[in-house]
Amino acid sequence: MDENKLLRIKEAAEILGVSIDTLRRWDKSGKLVAIRKDGGVHRYYSEKDLEVFKSDLTKIAYEWLETKSELPATFYCSNSAVFQARLITMQNQLAQMPRVSNIFSLIVAIAGEIGNNSFDHNLGKWPDVPGIFFGYNLEKGMIVLADRGLGVLYTLKRVRPELQNHTEAVKVAFTEIITGRAPEERGNGLKFVREIVEKNPISIFFRSGDAELRLANPDKELRITRSHLTTPGCLAIIEF
Amino acid sequence: MKIELKKFGTTLISRQAGRESFAAFQSTLSELKPNENLEIDFDGVITFSPSWGDEFLTPLLMQLGDRLMLLPSDNPSVKATLDILEQISKRRFKTSS
Repeated sequence: MDENKLLRIKEAAEILGVSIDTLRRWDKSGKLVAIRKDGGVHRYYSEKDLEVFKSDLTKIAYEWLETKSELPATFYCSNSAVFQARLITMQNQLAQMPRVSNIFSLIVAIAGEIGNNSFDHNLGKWPDVPGIFFGYNLEKGMIVLADRGLGVLYTLKRVRPELQNHTEAVKVAFTEIITGRAPEERGNGLKFVREIVEKNPISIFFRSGDAELRLANPDKELRITRSHLTTPGCLAIIEF
Repeated sequence: MKIELKKFGTTLISRQAGRESFAAFQSTLSELKPNENLEIDFDGVITFSPSWGDEFLTPLLMQLGDRLMLLPSDNPSVKATLDILEQISKRRFKTSS
């Protein structure tokens, strides 16, 4: 790739999968600043700048949760079929990486559980934008998933009406086996995620509402804290 | 009777896909004789997850009990999934070699 090659705004919009108006807005707000040749009026973008922009997965996901900003198409899975197809693409890439040869199926399984949880819990109930954010950088060992759905507390309250806040709900989601299928037949995917992360060189950050959960080295102790910020839906960052 | 799960796909991860697979399998399952075991072969499956397994294996376990036999698998996602499905259903899968 020629890192210094300048792209017209239309080409940049196609690469990122957003509209030209969005790029103009991002330029004005400073989110993704365009290049202008010798004080001209036309906006240009370097391929390198676009790569750097796309690589900041966490920032893009957070902004989507906080401000409902437009998502680059490469990260947006509008339905579970799109997610499934992209997950298989990621699986095939991970399978080629020697350093994760023993655990790649586990990484795919936990990403699959988290992503599918979003669809299963929110189908027909999405508050605004349906679908999920799914981005990964396998060289860095990072997968980011997010949704603007109802969140863990709302979903679990159907089976645990006594739950008072997001931190309690996230704790239950990650630690307690919920048996009995009605009225909420789901709810054990995150226990699976915890067990996998605890036993393997994988860490996770998960947030829902104002609850933030960390399960990481060195001790793999489950830490759940309250953040000053409340975001809709769920956000998960898997690192390996 | 032996069923190869790879015929349902090699990345078995969602509830929706698990439900569809279970529904599609019913016609084959109806051919199982009253005292015959159903063997599940994981060979060729790349990724297996609890969502899919809970929609496919759990109802079979409830229906067939000890007549459901799982063939051994070295795939870590298969092993981890079977472990959590046993915790959820509070029943053990019978395995055969």
